[in-house]
Amino acid sequence: MWAVVKKEFKSYFLSPVGYVFIGLFLIMFSIFFYTDVFNYSSTNFEYIFYSGATILTFIIPILTMRSIAEERKTGTEQLLLTSPLSITKVVLGKFIAATLIVVITEICTLMYFGILSFFGTPHITTALITLLGFLLLAMSYISFGILASSITENQIIAGVITIGFFILTWFLPQFSSIFTNFSLINMFTKFPSGQIDIADTVTFLAFTVMCILLTIIIMQRRKSVR
Amino acid sequence: MIELKNVTKKYGKAIAVEDISFTINDGEIVGLLGPNGAGKSTTMNIITGFIEQTSGDVIVDGYDMLKRPKKAKKEIGYMPEGVPLYTDLTVREFVTYMAEIKNVNRKERKQKVKEIIEQTGLKDVESKLIKNLSRGYKQRVSMAGALVGEPKILILDEPTVGLDPKQITEIRNLIKELGKTHTIILSSHILSEVSQICNKVIIINKGKIVAIDTPENLENKVTNNNCIYVTIEDSQNKIETIKDKIQDIKKIKLITKNDDGTTQYMIEANGEVDLRKTIFAEFAKEDITIFEMKKADSSLEDAFMKLIEGGNK
Repeated sequence: MWAVVKKEFKSYFLSPVGYVFIGLFLIMFSIFFYTDVFNYSSTNFEYIFYSGATILTFIIPILTMRSIAEERKTGTEQLLLTSPLSITKVVLGKFIAATLIVVITEICTLMYFGILSFFGTPHITTALITLLGFLLLAMSYISFGILASSITENQIIAGVITIGFFILTWFLPQFSSIFTNFSLINMFTKFPSGQIDIADTVTFLAFTVMCILLTIIIMQRRKSVR
Repeated sequence: MIELKNVTKKYGKAIAVEDISFTINDGEIVGLLGPNGAGKSTTMNIITGFIEQTSGDVIVDGYDMLKRPKKAKKEIGYMPEGVPLYTDLTVREFVTYMAEIKNVNRKERKQKVKEIIEQTGLKDVESKLIKNLSRGYKQRVSMAGALVGEPKILILDEPTVGLDPKQITEIRNLIKELGKTHTIILSSHILSEVSQICNKVIIINKGKIVAIDTPENLENKVTNNNCIYVTIEDSQNKIETIKDKIQDIKKIKLITKNDDGTTQYMIEANGEVDLRKTIFAEFAKEDITIFEMKKADSSLEDAFMKLIEGGNK
């Protein structure tokens, strides 16, 4: 499995994908840093993430849309699936590699924490809890992105499905409060207030596991219908 | 050893391969032959575990592909059709990656990768990106990917497609070389290739096996001993009366009229009789000049066409 993680991770930086993802995120993040924190002379690092989380909606597909669709299209999945590696390891490997990119991005955001500590004392625990919540949200998004990538061999379609789904869960609560608990991005909003909500954490993890399992099932199923 | 027992693959109602059974022993080089769409790739994909058969069993080296896929897949090196590769990796990175996913021991990995790159003649291009390589080299990279991890069995799907004649010869020699240490199954629709490399041929048509034999036996099966081609100069048109003179002739058929005034005929005899001596004597008597005379020889090509056409009827 680690072979897949290593190769996928490296591929993110062999193509511009990794740089584009981190770069886009940091540009947007800087803008939110300026508008949400700096403008108010606040030193609350976690405030940036209220808006920052919305960036993921648009850039997670950059990481995930290729992952399985491209392997299918170029036929390289034949190499993976005829090797002794199990499908589970292939999918997990791809998931972990994408998650690592998000972790790197999070580490990059710490420089804003540095800037803020120059002006005051931002709360370190709240910042860490926020980063944890952000990671959980990103993991849910990545797992869904990989699932979308597994159902088509066209990466663009995979990307559009992913963005469409994220936007849907983002705006649904505005139409009816029934959907409040189905919105992943809504669940994230408790983390920047410094509390780890067990229910939300479990939901994020459960959603992630569900998407990964579905991806594995889809790939397994395709063996008999291909 | 590979065993296929009554393997069938259906897509809905369409049948891709039907009731295929054969055994391939260790050390054999087997050619899978058939026209496009006959089910060659499907059969190979089933053996390698890339797709699942609808019914039947695939047993590789004693392990059932569906029940013990990890063990079975370890014994197989697969070079898929169209040589899919990770084009943004270098040759060495690709072969190393293949070694990693095939669980090659970490300590030996570097050495093994180096050996395989040398064996497949990729030393000069090992640090180049695969996307910048020519088709012939890509084929070799794919072959290197299949070879890594020391599989006992190599499965090569159309290994020489899209190559120039020089590259084809090189790849064929490489396959022959590998055949000394591996069991090989290769698919092809080029007959000369199969008869040159393989010691066993499986002919597939429309998802069914039409023949399993050695190339020589297949050729012998369809040889007709009783057919002779003659090119003659026959100014008095006496060929028409020849049939009455030689009793054994069953049929005389005009093949071509050449520009230099000669004509080629095919003469078919009744039963297994060699007519050449009689023809030579009789034609001389009748003042027909023989320019050329030869027995019709058959090739694997004929065998193939006969078997395929037989199946179509």
